[in-house]
Amino acid sequence: MSFEPIIGRYLTITAQGRTQRIYVETAGQGTPVLCLHTAGADTRQWRHILNDAGLTATHQFFAFDMPWHGKSLPPEGFETEEYLLTTETYMETVLAVSRALGLVRPILAGCSMGGRIALQLAALQGDAFSGFIAIEASDFQPAWYDIDWFHRPDAHGGEMGAALVSANISPHAPKTERWNTLWMFMQSGPGVFRGDLSFYTRDDSLIARLAQIDTARTPVHLLVGAYDLTCTPEDARRTAASIHGATCTVMDELGHFPMSEHPAGFRPYFLDALNRMKRPAAV
Amino acid sequence: MRARLFQMQQKLHETPHLLRLGRLFSETVLLEVDGAEFYLTFRDGRLETIVEGPSRKTPWRFAFRTDADSLAQFWQPIPKPGFHDIFGLVKIGRGRIDGDILTLVKNLSFFKEFMGLARAEAPSEELA
Repeated sequence: MSFEPIIGRYLTITAQGRTQRIYVETAGQGTPVLCLHTAGADTRQWRHILNDAGLTATHQFFAFDMPWHGKSLPPEGFETEEYLLTTETYMETVLAVSRALGLVRPILAGCSMGGRIALQLAALQGDAFSGFIAIEASDFQPAWYDIDWFHRPDAHGGEMGAALVSANISPHAPKTERWNTLWMFMQSGPGVFRGDLSFYTRDDSLIARLAQIDTARTPVHLLVGAYDLTCTPEDARRTAASIHGATCTVMDELGHFPMSEHPAGFRPYFLDALNRMKRPAAV
Repeated sequence: MRARLFQMQQKLHETPHLLRLGRLFSETVLLEVDGAEFYLTFRDGRLETIVEGPSRKTPWRFAFRTDADSLAQFWQPIPKPGFHDIFGLVKIGRGRIDGDILTLVKNLSFFKEFMGLARAEAPSEELA
């Protein structure tokens, strides 16, 4: 028997006054890195990074399923509740998990909505982290679609969500990992992708906060895939340009889920991003 | 284009997982390429008829409109960014989707895989 190095555990946090059982995976030793998954998915998106011996030799990665996602249960009473993620709940959850893990100023690496909240935290709670890797992240995009499509009784929201987000996967991605990435969306709980998209497509509060980000204290690096139709290279460049001192790299052969859809293609960009986080912070 | 559509029809009917995926899809789709109309009528996932327009009398559920060059690029083995998906073509202004979009979204995986059936065999020269 040969286990992967990833270890999965559960912990309990309180966010917005509610108790949440959170599933966390960890691997490695060294500089702590807290990893955030995209909308409608879960921690499995980070599996290749957490299994990468070259990266885990110097970094301890933590990835957790947001409440309602993956193996983290929804809160008590969810059966009568409409799930709508908000910036406030999202930030409080990330900070509570970081505290519960005992992390001291970890690097925060988030993708898509995880990248969006990473930039919100960079603006509002910058001192809680030592750097921000914002992947497929931008200031704001309104939805061109109706988010209600993805939660209705006459169709499978997960299958529709997967079909929609497949537009954001690069044709360079290995077929197996393309479909593994889509499977997570297919498995997403009813209304969860919709509730995430509510946060992602309706809250534009980050735009006014970008100027508050102090990259002299906490570096910010954006990564964006050329095949990402949701957060395009133009969106990421515009966002980086609004953050004094932020840097941005376009990944030519990748899409919206780079760490999951094309791990080999993503690795050099992520390693470069981690190295950019080593700038000493003037705390 | 007509020959290409008949090739796609044949390939669809030889692809069991697509027939299973589209087993509840019975609609007419308007595919418009450089203004030329093709009415694709699906029945239980099979492409029953391909009828060329123009027609003002043929009802359709949703329409996908694009141009031949965009489709040629879409059908490349590794399309360039934007040309890799029908929504990509819409995003870069080379395609348009009209009609009952919810029906398209409910059957999106099927329709996108159907549209991609010409990809592996797409020649680089002009479309037939």
